[in-house]
This record gives sequence, structure tokens and C-alpha cells, in this order.
Amino acid sequence: MAPFRVSPWIPALFLAPALAGLLVFRLGPILIALVGGFTGTTLRGETTFVGMRNYADLAADPSFWSSVKVTLLFNLLVNPFQICCAMGLALLVLRPTRGVALFRAAYLLPMTVSIALTSVIWTILLEPSVGPVNGVLRALGLPPQPFFRSEDQSLATLILVCTWKGAGYWMIFLLAGLLAIPRELHEAAAIDGAGAWQRFLRITLPLMRRPLAFVLVADTAINFLLFAPVYVITHGGPAGSTALLMFEAYQAAFALLNHGRSLAISTVILAIIGVIAVLELRLFRAAHERAG
Amino acid sequence: MIAGPHGRLALGALRYAAMVAVAAALLLPIWWILVSAIRPGGEIFRYASDVGWRTLVPERLTLEHFRTMLAGDMPRAVLNSAIVSLSTVVVGTMVNAAAGFAFAVFDFPLKRTLFAFVLLTFMMPFESIVIPLYTLIRTLDWTNTYAALIVPDLANGLVVFLFRQFFLGIPREIYEAARVDGASWWTIFIRLTMPLSGPTIATAALMQFIHQWDAFFWPLVAASTPELVVVQVAIARNITLEQANWGGLFASASTAILLAMIPFLLLQRYFIRTVTASSDK
Repeated sequence: MAPFRVSPWIPALFLAPALAGLLVFRLGPILIALVGGFTGTTLRGETTFVGMRNYADLAADPSFWSSVKVTLLFNLLVNPFQICCAMGLALLVLRPTRGVALFRAAYLLPMTVSIALTSVIWTILLEPSVGPVNGVLRALGLPPQPFFRSEDQSLATLILVCTWKGAGYWMIFLLAGLLAIPRELHEAAAIDGAGAWQRFLRITLPLMRRPLAFVLVADTAINFLLFAPVYVITHGGPAGSTALLMFEAYQAAFALLNHGRSLAISTVILAIIGVIAVLELRLFRAAHERAG
Repeated sequence: MIAGPHGRLALGALRYAAMVAVAAALLLPIWWILVSAIRPGGEIFRYASDVGWRTLVPERLTLEHFRTMLAGDMPRAVLNSAIVSLSTVVVGTMVNAAAGFAFAVFDFPLKRTLFAFVLLTFMMPFESIVIPLYTLIRTLDWTNTYAALIVPDLANGLVVFLFRQFFLGIPREIYEAARVDGASWWTIFIRLTMPLSGPTIATAALMQFIHQWDAFFWPLVAASTPELVVVQVAIARNITLEQANWGGLFASASTAILLAMIPFLLLQRYFIRTVTASSDK
């Protein structure tokens, strides 16, 4: 539709509430983080300019670097793992045989459980002494596990819990991509004697590049900001093994009451998310320009 | 390798076995929480260690845990979550639809720049700004108010985008006819455009509702007094503070699960269809 040329007052009035909201409550906090990262609070409660001190403190703080390391390790593991699981699920429910719609819906159900509630129910399920997961392991003759109580298992357990909630959600986006691949391509390759694995590598994966890239970027943005399970289940422990950056920022603000530090960590997080956002915007624009 | 009819049948059976196994792994945890909420307190963990059919099927049923729940902070939390989510949906839909309307219908200076700004805001997840947003809300003296929970979540770039995409498809002639009849742009927006937009309004409302209903980090930080506590914060706090009351925790967790799951079960067809629509042939 060709847009109407009207007095600029009319679009301004329609836009004002939403744009004011986005400016104040989206752009505002970003500016506060950027500026606030350079401030500190004196003993008398006054805010002062401290230059790069918060960042210098962070750079010299082994617990900050350990948190950066845990966050990177977590993301390097959880994103590929979730996407592989989601892809597996999508391939499993791809062919629309009898009852498959039911399984597609069933796999989506964990998505409806909020992240805070997911954290609560898995705290109970994985409780080492009375929880049902160890009950099942014992019934199968396997040794019970400490899960979140062990420094070695906590991060892996966190990854599994996040995957329980997320795999079905990302499955839907990959399923949409798989359904868009023309059947004839597979049929022609099968006639030429290509096996199922060959067809997956040569046809499916190359044609799934765009949906996979979208899911990877969107999933990374979510997992970089993961907070609720760390707050509810582990409090960053044991021994800092699950101390993700978002939890560090929260601790700095509300446990240490060091606002400069928390805003400096927020700036680091925003910079990472900003890079992810630009990547996302590119993918998004490319997809929409292609669609029309 | 070419599979014969027997091979293909075995492969099909294997596929269904795998689908059932995955469904069990994903759904049994939820099922166990739900049945634990209606079994007597003494039996909740007994059959978690002594695994058998009783682990998943309760022998005796009771509503005692729900009575405990009703005496606690859960009713207040459900009410608060409902107030916050519903006011966000009602006001947010109007605010974002109006902006989407302007982007779709009018030509104005800086349009491309402003639209790019809207796109960029929805690429930055809300959680990434929680800490500095708290600084802002404290400056405004809004901590522990409904406004702190509702107002920052009203404007939503993704919803503006959704409305703009839909409004672009409405033919120009409809607006021209209404203008000739002397209708103001506001009247056109309220009386003509919005009534044509049912499905988009439903999608936008659902998205804003879920975002508010599931929110945890922001309410925890911004408004966590007993008067303003929302469902997610109330339940998370019960597990960290008073693990003695397991029955009440299971009842409130089950209530929260069902409150979110029932609308999903009613709408999942549309959700799966919307995402897979363009390609499912």
C-alpha cells in the first residue's frame, strides 16, 4: 500500500506512546548501563565519577573471569546440544503419519512451563536423596548421582534441564524448515542410490542453513541471559561452577550493593547481546527481503 | 541399502518407540509433579525412592495441599499476575497497534530510522537490561508499585512489527473511502482497522500475556514485597525459604503449570500451524 502523506503531527501522535516507551525503557537502561559503569557510590551514598575503575576491578577479579569462562563454556555446550536435540526431534516427527500431530504437541508442552517453574520442579526431581530421578536410577541398579550438588555435574545438569524446556520449542522452527524442502529432491537422490545419511548431509543440512542460523542466534541470546535456574537452584555453586554472568550482575547489585560494578557487568552483557542482535537483524532482513 | 517391507515395518515401529520414549522423558516429570499435589503428604516422596506403578498413579487422593496453598501467598500472587498481565495486554495492544498503524499507513520524516530502532529493540531481550532498568525505576521512585511491573513492558518492538506487517495488507481504497466520508484517522484506526485485525490482535495479546505471566527476573528485582508478589516469584521463594511445606509447594507449582498449560493446549493447533504454515503441504 502506498503510504498517505499527512501532516507529521498525525503519525507523531500515533507513534508517541510506543516510541516513548521504547526510548525510556529500552534505550534509557542501555545508556544508564554505559554511563553508570563509570560511576561509584561513596560511603555517604553519593554517586561519583570513577573513570575506568569498575572495569579495572573486573579485569583484576578472578571471580569475574571465572564467571566469563563458565558463561562461555555453558554457551558453547548448551546451544549446539539443544539444536542437535531439536533437530533430532524435528526429524523424528517430520513424516506426518498417524498420531504424529499428537507427539509434536506433546514435545512443545515443556515450553509452557516458565523458566522459574522449570527451576523449581527440577530442584525437586533431582534432589539427591529423596528425588524421583535418583529413585529411577536406583531401581535400574545404577548409582544415584549428586547432580546440582556436585561441582563436576552441576553445569551439565543445568544444560540438560534447559534442553528439557527448550528442545521442543526450537524443534517447531526446524520442523518448519524441513517441511519446506521439496520432496522431489530426496526422491531423486534416492533413485540415484544415495542413502538416508548421504541425503541428510548433502540435501537436508545445506537447505537448513537459514533456519539453523536463526535458531542458533535466538537460542544464544536466551542462554547468555540465563538467570532463574542459577538463582533458584544453585546460587552459582558449587564452587562457582554455575556462576553465569547474569547472576554475577545480580549479585553485584543486590548482594554486594555495588551498583557501579553491576552496571559495568551489564555493559559487558549488553555488548555481547548487541553483537548477537546485529547478527539477528541481518538474518531477519535477509529473510524478509527474500520473502518480498 | 534398500529396506524390504519387513525392514520398513520394523523401522516404523522403532520410530514410534523412539517418539514414545521422548514423550515420556519430557512429560513424566510434569505428570509426577501434578500427581504429587493430590496425594497425601506422607506418600509424596515414599514412591519417589521406591519406584513402581505407585510412583505415577496415586492410590489415595486428597485436596489438603490445595487448602494449604489457598491459605498462603498463592491467591494473592495469582491475582497480582492476572492484574499485571491483563493490563499489559489491554494497554500494550493499543499502544503497539497505534505505532504499527503509523508505520504502515503514513509517510513521515525519519520513518526508516525510527523503524530500524523498533527492530533493534526487539533484538535486545528484556532480560539484558534488567539491572540498569532497576536503576531507572528507583530514580522514578517506582519500586514496589504495579507501575514498575506494567509500564516498562507495554511498548514492544516485536508487537509493533507484527501489527505493521498486517496493516500493510489492508487496501488503500478502504482508507480513501473513509476519508472522503470525513472520518478522522483516529476513528479509522479504532472503527475500521482494529476490527479487521482479530487474529493479529490475538497473537499479539498472547505474546504479551505469556511474557508477563512467565516473567521472573524483573518482578524479583523491581517489586517483590508480599503485596506485589507475582506467581513465579512466589513459587521460587517458597522453595528457597520453606522447604518444610512440600505439599503446598507441589499444589502451587501444579496450579501454575496448569494455568499456563490449559490456554496452550487450547491454542497449540494454531501455534504449530502459524509457525509451520507456509511450508506444510
